[in-house]
Amino acid sequence: MNNIPLVHFLYLAGILFGIGMFGVLARKNAISVLMGIELMLNAVNINFLAFARYWNWNSLTGPVFVVFVITIAAAEAAVALAIIISIYRHLRTANVDDAHYLRG
Amino acid sequence: MMENMIFYVIAGITVASALMALTVRNLFHCALFLAMAMFGISGVFLYLNSDFLASVQVLIYVGAVTVIIIFGISLTRNMMDERSKAMNHQFLFSIVVALLLSAVIIAAIQESPFVGAEHPMSLMLSSTTGDASQQLAANIASPDHPFQGGVAYLAGALLRPENGFAFAFEFVSILLLSALVGAIVIARKDPA
Repeated sequence: MNNIPLVHFLYLAGILFGIGMFGVLARKNAISVLMGIELMLNAVNINFLAFARYWNWNSLTGPVFVVFVITIAAAEAAVALAIIISIYRHLRTANVDDAHYLRG
Repeated sequence: MMENMIFYVIAGITVASALMALTVRNLFHCALFLAMAMFGISGVFLYLNSDFLASVQVLIYVGAVTVIIIFGISLTRNMMDERSKAMNHQFLFSIVVALLLSAVIIAAIQESPFVGAEHPMSLMLSSTTGDASQQLAANIASPDHPFQGGVAYLAGALLRPENGFAFAFEFVSILLLSALVGAIVIARKDPA
């Protein structure tokens, strides 16, 4: 049995969340922004599983939430790519800064 | 000790490839680095006694999401000229925000009561008192404490009505169906 402290999983999740946040804020291409969002969701999954194991490793509420997060992330990725392709068809670009019709 | 070392190697690979996935300019390389980061995260899941979720992670993220992202890149590629920059004008601001966010998260973890948690159930141990605490400690101390986190238990947790997740489980299938229909309608050539 390994004895890695809980906080090391939390550090890893925090760092991955920060990297994903950087991708969402800094990348030009909409698909890269989507990758950043997926990374942030995975950081949250690590937290769910880490707390589930260190709370009581027969508790299954954490893994159940991870199943729902993975499902919704997959659905979100499909819809987001459909939107990106639709934007690309109308504006001939996949750059998030160029799609500013709704800017006030 | 050896298996702890492997965890830190996996964590390092995960962080490095996640960083590469969001800084490399070529989008195909980004998608491949993202797949590698997802492999690393599934390795971390194995360290958390979640073998089923680790395989689900590989199937869905490496198998499906990365492939769909590569499809998206191929369909929108010809406008990506090689000279254009990958980052927008908020680049420096984003670095500051992401570093601050990670620093705040890490500082908050260091202040939290989770610092002492080194073995399973140690959080529950610290929150119970008196007789129950001693019983739990004796339970944890035994080296072959039964671990029941297999697939059958996860299925039971999801689908047994008394656990309360059965409705959400069925509802998420409706969500998947509507996402499927929605993606087709949005990406269709000429909306009727």
